[in-house]
Amino acid sequence: MSDIPLRVRRRVWFRQFLLQACWNYEGMQNVGFAYSILPALRDRYEGRPEEFSRALKRHLEFFNTHPSMATVILGAAIRLEERVAEGKVDARAVGTFKVGLMGSLGAIGDSYFWGSLKPMASVAGAILAFVHPLLGIAMLLFLYNSSHLVLRFRGFAAGMGGEESAVRFLKEAGFTGKTEDRKMIAAILGGAYGGVVASHTAHQFGGAWMELGVFLLAALAIHLFTVFFRKAVSPSELLVLLLLIGTLILWQ
Amino acid sequence: MAWSFLIAAAWGGICYLDRTAAFQVMLHRPLVVAPVMGAIFGNFAAGAQVGAVLELLYIVRLPVGASIPPDDTGAAVFGGAAAAAASSSIGLGPGSFAAILLLSVLCAELGKYADRLVRRLNGRIAHLTVERLEEGDSLSVENGLVAGLVLFGVFGVALTLMFSGLGVFLARFLLPRFGPESHYQFGILLPAIPLLGAAAVFSCSRTDRTSPVFYLTMGCVFSAIFFFRWLV
Repeated sequence: MSDIPLRVRRRVWFRQFLLQACWNYEGMQNVGFAYSILPALRDRYEGRPEEFSRALKRHLEFFNTHPSMATVILGAAIRLEERVAEGKVDARAVGTFKVGLMGSLGAIGDSYFWGSLKPMASVAGAILAFVHPLLGIAMLLFLYNSSHLVLRFRGFAAGMGGEESAVRFLKEAGFTGKTEDRKMIAAILGGAYGGVVASHTAHQFGGAWMELGVFLLAALAIHLFTVFFRKAVSPSELLVLLLLIGTLILWQ
Repeated sequence: MAWSFLIAAAWGGICYLDRTAAFQVMLHRPLVVAPVMGAIFGNFAAGAQVGAVLELLYIVRLPVGASIPPDDTGAAVFGGAAAAAASSSIGLGPGSFAAILLLSVLCAELGKYADRLVRRLNGRIAHLTVERLEEGDSLSVENGLVAGLVLFGVFGVALTLMFSGLGVFLARFLLPRFGPESHYQFGILLPAIPLLGAAAVFSCSRTDRTSPVFYLTMGCVFSAIFFFRWLV
């Protein structure tokens, strides 16, 4: 178990929310990471200013991962620093561990948080906003944060258990399965959203065959937009195209 | 009106901080930002309508590594303020709604470039932090982080003031110049915008398993609404 006092752990935990506060192209999250781990370093290297300064510099090296997954590395880095301070581990192990884990955690986090959880929460919120805007907002915030905050906390706790505990946490958390599930839910909700929009548009034209035709057109438009996205066309470019079409319509 | 802009700036600053620098608890999402902007400028529901559509438009662009997605928070600030102002002047018809949504893309792109600039300036702060630490300043990391945070916050406040001002200007002075016929013509484009949002969600969730599920659900929901209308 770690000897880091609870109040220090709490301070580190709250500080990790500012991991990206000084995000820059050279070191990316380096300042944020050093800031987050600072209370633990002060505790471990109390009365040893030179070692403290060296430890702090170690954490000002390049660092970049998904912000919500960084707690795992943060916790494990604190445990490693504890052992470095006791002289049980070489200081270079801290950097090696961070570099070794940040890439894969970044990929897992991007895929889970940005690629599946956020779209799922967003589309659920957007659908519920048709019923009442406040319901939509509440749903978005609840769906995203119930997973995000819990994972930040559990990741930190696992990291504080040491490197093996961190790796075990990543294995047992089942991110691949969770990502697949959330993508499936997002697809169902996205389909429902598309159906509502198509139905709303079709209703304006009237007539069963006309409505069916509009539905098919809507499905075709979605497919076409998806193909554009796959060809790396950004939504902004498509919106600018629509804006140009609108301007041409007005011009006539 | 000055109070509205002040409150909007404070709220926008918080949202912009949530976007990158602090917490990331999704306060910066258009679904949250636009209704609040709408409420500040006089019409919560109008802002919410814009927010619900904008929420999904840019979701396909992920903030992976050093890539910066379009600033959908800025688009929502603009859209929420413009929708609320439009509802009290020309009304939020399909034409003005489509115009607001389409013009918000300019704010999204402008915000992206501002974000890049902040991150470049942060690079200088990070350099100074390391230099100061080497000189023996043990508080340099804390000072550097606060400087970065303030920079993100200041840019957020400035962008919010600019985008909300542009939104109100558009709704009060620009859109009324076009006649009702123009509004009707522009409204033809409106259905394409939420469909673009649905496509963005589909792109994010696309796997071999999810593709048929997406279209099947779309068909089922469409049929269910169709039969419900037919029955009623």
